[in-house]
Order: sequence, then C-alpha cells, then structure tokens
Amino acid sequence: MAHGPTATPLAPADWDPYTTRPDNFFDALFGQLRPECQALIEQYEDSRSALLPMAHLFQEHEGYLSQNAIVAIAYLLGLAPAVVESTVSFYTLFYRKPVGRYMLAVCRNLSCIINGAEEIMAYFRERLGVGHLETTPDGLFSYEEAECLAACDQAPCMQVNLEFVYKLAKPDVDAMLAAMRDGSFVVAPLVQTAPPERTWKIAQDTGHKSAGGRDVADPNNAGGIGDRSGVIMLDRLMADPAFAERSRERILHEKNLQSAGGDGSH
Amino acid sequence: MAAISTSILTPVLTKGIGELNLCDIDVYRDQGGYAQLERAFKELTPKDVADICMGSNLRGRGGAGFPTGRKWSFLPNNGRPRYLVCNCDEAEPGTFKDHLLLEATPHQIIEGILIAAYAIGCHHAYMYIRGEFKVGFQIFKAALEQARAAGYVGKDLFGTGFDLEVTIHRGAGAYICGEETGLLNSLEGKRGEPRLKPPFPAIKGLYGEPTVVNNVETLAYLPHIMRNGAEWFANIGPARSPGFKVVSISGHVRNPGNYEVALGTTIRALIWDCAGGLREGRTFLGVQPGGGSSACLFEEHLDLPYDFDSVAKAGSMLGSGAMVVFDDTTDFVKAAHSLIRFYAHESCGQCTPCREGGQWLEKTLVRILDGRGLQSDVDMLVSASHQMTGLNLCALGDSLEPFLASVVQRFESQFRAYVHEPRQAVAM
Repeated sequence: MAHGPTATPLAPADWDPYTTRPDNFFDALFGQLRPECQALIEQYEDSRSALLPMAHLFQEHEGYLSQNAIVAIAYLLGLAPAVVESTVSFYTLFYRKPVGRYMLAVCRNLSCIINGAEEIMAYFRERLGVGHLETTPDGLFSYEEAECLAACDQAPCMQVNLEFVYKLAKPDVDAMLAAMRDGSFVVAPLVQTAPPERTWKIAQDTGHKSAGGRDVADPNNAGGIGDRSGVIMLDRLMADPAFAERSRERILHEKNLQSAGGDGSH
Repeated sequence: MAAISTSILTPVLTKGIGELNLCDIDVYRDQGGYAQLERAFKELTPKDVADICMGSNLRGRGGAGFPTGRKWSFLPNNGRPRYLVCNCDEAEPGTFKDHLLLEATPHQIIEGILIAAYAIGCHHAYMYIRGEFKVGFQIFKAALEQARAAGYVGKDLFGTGFDLEVTIHRGAGAYICGEETGLLNSLEGKRGEPRLKPPFPAIKGLYGEPTVVNNVETLAYLPHIMRNGAEWFANIGPARSPGFKVVSISGHVRNPGNYEVALGTTIRALIWDCAGGLREGRTFLGVQPGGGSSACLFEEHLDLPYDFDSVAKAGSMLGSGAMVVFDDTTDFVKAAHSLIRFYAHESCGQCTPCREGGQWLEKTLVRILDGRGLQSDVDMLVSASHQMTGLNLCALGDSLEPFLASVVQRFESQFRAYVHEPRQAVAM
C-alpha cells in the first residue's frame, strides 16, 4: 500500500480520451465534473479512496453508472477500467444500467416482514406489473426489494430515491404512484439520460454480492447422489448423521434414484 | 421516535431529541456542546482523555462490545500516521439507533470523533455513512461545515497546533462494510471484503497504518463521559458492562422506537415499560436481543438483565442493541427466511462456507415455504448452519446459525407444519 498523497492522475493532465467520442453528452459532463472529481481525490491520502465518491457523483448526473463513467473514473485514478468495474459491481447502490425515474426500494427484512411487508411487496408488484429488480416499460419506476433500511420502528418502510417513506399501507402505495405519475411527488425524480431496460442488473449478476449456488435450483442435490453441482459442501455434509439420513430418505422417495442405488451412506 | 415518558429511561445521547433542533450548532452549544472538546484541547493531554475513556469502561456499541479504551491502547507508538474511522454503516437487521443519532444530533457525533481523534493523536478522521442514509449524509455534512466554521475542525485547533481534518465517506449498499476491515477496504476504494486478522486495524488499518474504528454511539458517549467523569459512567449498571445504551425496539410492540436505558435493565422492562408491551390480546413468543445475528430468547429469559455479559451467558448476544419482539402471530419460518436471505445476499463471497452455505440455506427455506420440503430439511437447517460457523474471515458467516438454530429448536412444529411429507416415512 502506497503512503502519502498519490492524488495526481497517472495520465498527463491534457490527455482527454473523450474528445473523439460521439457521446457528446458525456464529454460535456466529464468536463463539468472534472474539477469536482479532483476535489474528491484531494480529500484522501490515497487517490483510490475517491472511487466510491466519484461513482456516486457520476451516477447522480447520469442516473446510472455508465461505462463511460467507469472509464472516466479509471482514467482519473490511474486504474484499469476493469478494476473500477470490479469494485462498483460489489455495491448494490451503483446501477450499472439505466433505471427508472423513481427507484422504489421496499424493505424485505425481519421487522418489516413480520409487520406486513409481504402484502406491500405483493401490492407493488401488482400495481407496477414488474418484479424484484425490474423497471416498468414506461421507464418511470424501478422496483427493488431491499435489505434492512434501518427504520425498523417505522415498519413496513421503503425508500424512494434513497429518501424514506415510513409505515406503508396499501392506500399510500396508490397515492404515491399517482403522485409520481403526475410529477407532484415530494421526492425529486432521478436524472434519466438513457432509456431503461427490463432490469438494471447486468446479465451475470445474480443479485447477490457473491456467486454462490448459481444456476443450481434444488438444495436437495447439495452433493447428493447423481448431482455434481453442490460438491463444495459435500465433505462437510457427509460427516453429519443427518446427511446420511437424508440420502436414505431421498432414495426412498425419488424413484429415478433407486436404480442408482447404494445404501445412501457413501 | 416515540415520546419518552417512562421513568426507567435515561436520556443521555437522546436528550433533547424531538424537542430541540440539535442539528444547529448554536442549539447544541447551548446544551453544553463542544465545551468538552475545548476542555480536552486546552486543559488535558491526549493521555488524560484516553485515561478517562479507559476508566469509564465504555464498551463498543457497534456489536462486538470491545472495551473502547483498550482498543485505543493497542495503537503502536511507531511514529506512523494514525487514523480514526467512525462506523455509521448501520445495517444490522433491527438496528436503527445510529440512523436517529445521525439525523437528530450530528454535532454530538462530531464532538465525539474530535475528542477521540485528539486522544489517539489522529489528524485525519473519516466518517463512513451507509449509502442509504442520503438525508443523514446531507445533515451530517451541513453540521460538519458548521463545526469547521466554528473552528473545531481544520488547522491549529484552539491554538494548540493540532490539525484535524474530518472526511465523510458514503458507502453504497453493502452490509459487510459495517465489518471494520470490510469498511476499511471500502474506504480505500475497493470491494468491501473483510481482511484476514491479525493484523488488526490497530496495527495495520487504513492505508496500512494504525487505525481505530469506533461505532457512532460509542463516540457520541465520549463528550458525556468527559463532562460527568469516568466514574459516573462506570458506576451505572453492571461493573463489567457499564453505562447507557440506546436500544432499538421493533417488531410486535405497541410503541417501537429507540429507548436509552442503563445497561442491566431487564428485557421485560424494555419491552413492556419502554415499548408499551405487545398489542392487544397477543402473547409473547420470543425476542431477538441483539440484531439479526443474535439467537432468539424466550419467555424464560424475560427477567434477564440487558447487558453484554448477561445476554451472552444466556446463549445470545447484546450486539448492536436491537430488539425485535415476536408475538404469537409470528411465522418463524418466514422470519428465519428473511434473515437467511439477508445474509446470503450480503455475503461478500470470499469464504466458501458463508458464500455457499447462506445460499443453500436460503434455497432450503424457500423449498420448505413452498411446501416441497422434506422432514430432514428441518434438521439440515440446523446442521448446515452449524457447519458454517467459525470457518470464515469475519463474523457474517457465523451470523446465520444463532437465530435459525434457536427458532428451529423452539418452534420446530412451525417448520414441520410446512412439510407435507409424513414424518414416519423416514426409514432408519
């Protein structure tokens, strides 16, 4: 780890990779935000610390974190764009594809769930016609079921563009959506510089921070007979008596496994 | 926040919230704010301040309960720059105390940060605020500007030659950044993946330098401890776990909210005297005493004193001081599912037991909820979560077992009721 200020970008100050790009909007934005980015870099002992603040800044102006912005951040910090991308992909608040004007994040964690959040979520899905991590076709709403928002005394709660809405009830949902549609809602809409797609998650992204258990639908096959997708847990599970019991049970209940046989204790 | 009217409440940090505009530096100063900062700089040495903190026996309010004075004392005297980071990445399910303190009394936090920075000889402190607290970030930023204008932040503070800068850093939606080394990585502009320990942050933290990471509530108590003396704080509540605590109570209670009490107050008093007890006609089934990572406690634990050691002795933990109360309408399968889904979602993915285990547990619970579960799935929830524990870089992977195992054990019938397969079909 380098010590002391490394705030100077590695590329020469007059080098600007965007002047030749057809994306005129981003050229203007890059020029506009560059001094602010420089100020962010100077806040820290190490320039890379400005990565998240700069990502927030670009997203605020573009509505999402575009590939242009990722390249720009990489350029300003003297990093490879892939390094910036690998970092921002860790954080759920960075939208890597365009989102709707209103980001609706309903809390799905414990205190909200036991206070009726499931009904609210079902109602949102019904009214919007989209599911978790999806944007409505008109590009107005993006809907997400979020983790604990730290307002459990106000359950069920949600955030609209990161501003809290407390003690949700179904009539509030209708009133809220209507106000957003006619532009009178109290929270300002997000900037939108590109039309959103069905989801703002990139294709490879499971919605989790990590990639565990991907593409494996059935937990019953976690290292069980005839299944190779869950072998990572196998060694630990096999030592457990409950596992041997479950293997026997599966053989009894799943006809297609009976010929594969064995006593289930392998 | 619910109105504070009960006699067992001891408002220290929460004093004046809801009545005064404590975001205004003048109002805060009228209440005695920043006087202790001035006293520290003008009359006390850094060692004096550190001794006061050590003497108060203040334990960290973020979750682990580590004595703050001892944490500071681990910093090596190697002449390297030192950093202080205030952890406001509050995302533990059920916790909402830092949210309140951030939005209602930002100056108290700033004063705490400045006093702590003086005590440990730090010239650049960082405030890490979770990304979702956008409004709190704006409030804190405005307060910090006021403090800077008043000469509490910047160069040559109080004419002592001591420079101190405070930088606010916004997170971007990752629970794991509340873990101190994950937070440091995030602050360095990296993925918020926890680091292997040791070395602990006190030896090698931010930018590889000695670093102290303290919770918002911990730091906010410092001005009060300075004002009233270390003994005042140390003599409240149990000797090994003294002082006050802002307890976030939510779930099935009449008046959910933040309640500040002396540690050692019983759980019963917190639920019934502070939060107004359960709703009409409901009976108590359980309470999670310390956030999503703590094991559920039940009726027999209601008279337990609410402090770090007593709750730990009962097999759970005080954690961040977040109580979620469950009445007889609770579906514990759904409750467990929402927490397990949370940990599966928030796993950073570095350690296999946590990355894979969380997602398998989530899938197993989904299958049980869908009515496709097997009887042995219920047992597997306990055994698999147990096998995840103790095998990870940080505590996230260990956080799935306590609640899940405690409620499966206690409310096994609720889990079995979702399983349609007859139980006797298991041939042994």
